[in-house]
Amino acid sequence: MTQALPLTLKDLTKRYGERTVLDSVSLTAMPGKVTMILGASGAGKSTLLRLVAGLEAPSSGAVFSGDTCLSSPKSVTPPEARQIGLVFQDFALFPNMRVTENVRFGMRGVSKQEAEAKIEKWLTTLGIAHRAEAYPHHLSGGEQQRVAIARALAANPNAIMMDEPFSGLDPANRDTVRTAALDALREANIPTLMVTHDASEALAYGDQIAVLDQGKLLQVGTPDDVFLSPQNLIVAKAFGPLEAVSASALSALWPDLAQPQSEIIYYRPEAISVSENSDGIDMTITGVQRTGSTLDLTVEHESGLSLKSRIVPVSKPEIGSVLPITVNPGLFYAF
Amino acid sequence: MNLLTTYQGQARRLTFLTMAGFILLPVAVAIWFGLTLGGGDTWSHILNNRLAPYTATTLGMLFLVAAQVLLIAVPAAWLVSRYKFPGRAIFNWALVLPLAVPGYVMAYVWAELSGVSGPFQTFIRDMTGLRARDYFFPDVYNLPGLSFVLATTLFPYVYITARAAFANQSLCTLEAARSLGASHYRTFWRVALPSARPAIVAGLALALMEAAADYGAADFLGIPTLGVGIVRAWNSFGEPATAARLALVLIAIAFAFMILEKVSRGQRGSQQTSSRWRSPEPQSLSRTNALLASAFCGVVLLVSFILPVGRLLWLSLELRAVTPDISGPLISTLLLASFGTILGLISAIALTLSGRGRSRQAGRLVTAAGYAAPGAVLALGAVLFLSSSNLSISGPFSLAILVWVYASRFTAAGSEPLQAALERAPKSLDHATRSLGATGFRRLLRVDLPLISPGLWAGLLILFVETLKELPATLMLRPFGWDTLAVEAYKYAADERLAQAVFPSLLITLAGLAPVLLLSWQMSRSRQVQ
Repeated sequence: MTQALPLTLKDLTKRYGERTVLDSVSLTAMPGKVTMILGASGAGKSTLLRLVAGLEAPSSGAVFSGDTCLSSPKSVTPPEARQIGLVFQDFALFPNMRVTENVRFGMRGVSKQEAEAKIEKWLTTLGIAHRAEAYPHHLSGGEQQRVAIARALAANPNAIMMDEPFSGLDPANRDTVRTAALDALREANIPTLMVTHDASEALAYGDQIAVLDQGKLLQVGTPDDVFLSPQNLIVAKAFGPLEAVSASALSALWPDLAQPQSEIIYYRPEAISVSENSDGIDMTITGVQRTGSTLDLTVEHESGLSLKSRIVPVSKPEIGSVLPITVNPGLFYAF
Repeated sequence: MNLLTTYQGQARRLTFLTMAGFILLPVAVAIWFGLTLGGGDTWSHILNNRLAPYTATTLGMLFLVAAQVLLIAVPAAWLVSRYKFPGRAIFNWALVLPLAVPGYVMAYVWAELSGVSGPFQTFIRDMTGLRARDYFFPDVYNLPGLSFVLATTLFPYVYITARAAFANQSLCTLEAARSLGASHYRTFWRVALPSARPAIVAGLALALMEAAADYGAADFLGIPTLGVGIVRAWNSFGEPATAARLALVLIAIAFAFMILEKVSRGQRGSQQTSSRWRSPEPQSLSRTNALLASAFCGVVLLVSFILPVGRLLWLSLELRAVTPDISGPLISTLLLASFGTILGLISAIALTLSGRGRSRQAGRLVTAAGYAAPGAVLALGAVLFLSSSNLSISGPFSLAILVWVYASRFTAAGSEPLQAALERAPKSLDHATRSLGATGFRRLLRVDLPLISPGLWAGLLILFVETLKELPATLMLRPFGWDTLAVEAYKYAADERLAQAVFPSLLITLAGLAPVLLLSWQMSRSRQVQ
């Protein structure tokens, strides 16, 4: 059904006057894969989507679908002519049309039977066929978002852009809708770009993650790549809490972790744990705090080295007690 | 405590019912007389010779006004809210200004402008050397002319509601439409217009309600609408039964529009699927299209405001010698408008504060009914009541009745800002006030009045100007020697002494500008806050 073309961004730059919102971003999104654009607010995520969708013209660089140039500073194919689907945080359904009419809106030059079959197919795939005749204001948020995705897919797009599509949904609903929606997108076999500021969402649901910060693309890779091998501190911090410790103090206890080129070593609290078979280094518990199912511990060695640890405990350790501590070298980073 | 609450609840209900009755009585009286006066042969005479032709003319006028208002207001609102073009920032608020010009003033000015000795025809003759009967020039003394004159002052009702609807439309919806392959044209017709439709219908209903209530413009241009028919049947033909029947039809038409407005307004809430909106950034247009947009809005503003008000200013400077002494009418106007405003404001405050929950909705409906009833109808109700109870229609008593009619008609206009102020307060405030033991007068003085005070000045201003512009009821009920500016302008214009009508017309228009500017300013401020 689709041409299965990759979507390519080449040195894409957008400036508003003096301010550079997007700085030379290059990225390829493959068909059938979900590329997560992760970044804090103001990182340029939405601008990137708007450039790809053709709602704005780039200051330099270009957007390609396969070999076809869609956007360059010289010529911009208007949004209505480039077949790139958009899905918004606020769903943006047409309030005056029923679900079926919303989904049919983007289908041009298709026979009535064909259109109906296609509408039914997408509504069924997304699990909302029973709401086909409802108006948007009678739908729940999750249902509305599934209609919005069905509408974008039914238009037979070359790619889909989603701007924080699930952040408006309540947590109970979010997982179901997200799984149904992303499965449907992979089935459509087109590139999907999805903007999110939620690192765990990006890690759990993305095939590829692009980390954006202040308009610059810091790293692109699979969830494992970016999580386990962040190329700089900002990328590492984007995926969860990070602690810093003096490299020399640490390597005095664990020589394996020695980092000749840097003074400071970063680690995730999950890297520090209590050994079950007493083969760790004895340290004193100086702080305990429960955060849901995990405990955040502060442990101190007699050399004065203090570490933060996040563990899933069987029982809560007493402050002042001495426990054997081990480390997971995979969660230590030096930049 | 329980007894006290019950007692106060009863006092509140009593206040509410009294005020509602006070406002509804003139309309109710008019309806009652409409249903009971005359019968038999009289009725068939009224039906064939009066009711049918007057109603047909009125409906024709309303149809033409609706068409013109939509053609002017919807494109203007769409352009101003969605596109960048030269002058957009000025058109944005200036297109509201024509509301300040009363329909009858618009009629006088356009009659003068398009008349044989008016500037256009003089210019044609000067340029071509032709004589007046050698060429055709459209005049406004006909049904299309009347509808044009009314449409030029009433289109802002639709402009305001349509602009708000277009501006509040989720930009995402419009962008989604484009990403699904829809052109600008298809986006407008399939997406933007349908979701703005309830707002447009609400604005149109208000405009048509006003058009139906018009008396001055139709009378001056010699078009026999229902409003004209009522006054004529009463004043000239001495046919109270006819007047009452015509009033009944006019009330039915006006109430139909009022209900249409309420219903459309109610639909608007369900039209939004999300509370998260990005306000649309206006889009750039090509040079030619931008100039066309400026030209469209420019012509609308020129025809509906700059030309008529400019002409009034010009004439009042040119004709200073024939300007009549208007100090008497000015004092009458100020006195009548002040009394009307005070009574209207008191009833607005009482109704706003005594209504709770469902009765507050009922209160709105009551004031809306008074507002929808044309002045001529209310005045007729009053005079029929006076004559049937053998009370004199002149003297201080009729003055009191006139002020009552003002209050009955305009309380809605005065209470809207109060309601708006009250609705801004959080719902829990009522519970908080009660839990702190504040009841009765203490609550009124310490909580309720301060709460509505931000809307008080706006309510006062709107009431004052509406009363000052009122024509038909004042014309029918004023005692001898109590001519207002509106009546003065009407009398001179009716005598074809337009020059003398200019100055009072200008004063009324300038006074009318104050609330319109206030409205425009408030709307642009609330947009910034969003």
